[in-house]
Amino acid sequence: MKAEFDPIAGKSAVIIETIMSSPDIPSDPGLEFKIRLCVEEVVENIVSYAYENGAGFVEVGTELQDNTLIISFRDSGVKFNPLLKGDPDITLSAEERQIGGLGIFLCKQMMDDLRYVYNDGCNNLYMMKRIS
Amino acid sequence: MEVTINQNENKFDVVLVGRLDTTNADQFQKDIEPLMQGEKPEITLDCSAMEYTSSQGLRMFLMLQKSVNSRGGSMVMTGMSPQVKEVFDITGFSNIIRII
Repeated sequence: MKAEFDPIAGKSAVIIETIMSSPDIPSDPGLEFKIRLCVEEVVENIVSYAYENGAGFVEVGTELQDNTLIISFRDSGVKFNPLLKGDPDITLSAEERQIGGLGIFLCKQMMDDLRYVYNDGCNNLYMMKRIS
Repeated sequence: MEVTINQNENKFDVVLVGRLDTTNADQFQKDIEPLMQGEKPEITLDCSAMEYTSSQGLRMFLMLQKSVNSRGGSMVMTGMSPQVKEVFDITGFSNIIRII
């Protein structure tokens, strides 16, 4: 599945639902839950931060390679590698914990692999999840 | 996310129903305003019908827990589904919020 949205302002919900209704997404509720969570975190980041006022595009895709689901995101917004963001310290107390910084950390934990490539002026993020 | 709050003095029984994500986190923040006031609140959040929370939802629960701690109160979340519980476990929130 491939789909493009332009502009993306205010379109988080439809982008998320487009990805989640792809036939490549497994129907197992536990897996579906994890994938939805990660998709939402990434889509929200792109819609909120990639472009000023969401005035730009995102291309999303899903494919199955062997037993691995690959979900891809491409935008031409601000160059940003989310994988370089430091992980939150999950041992801190409530008072010490910062509010935020959890989205990409959840993706790292719940997916099997995340890859980021910047080329042709675009951010490309790939999330991999093994489907057994 | 539907939020129902039953208050008896400083005791709050709260029932959370549905999904908590970016689309409704702002509304949720407004809905839980009664929980953000008063001394020594004792809050129980019934999560048995909470289907989903994203990191936006986690932010809200952390904010609430910090507020409760600063007012000398207590908070517990009950009946969480295994999937939602896993989100709390992975992020270390199980260590800072009491879940039974």
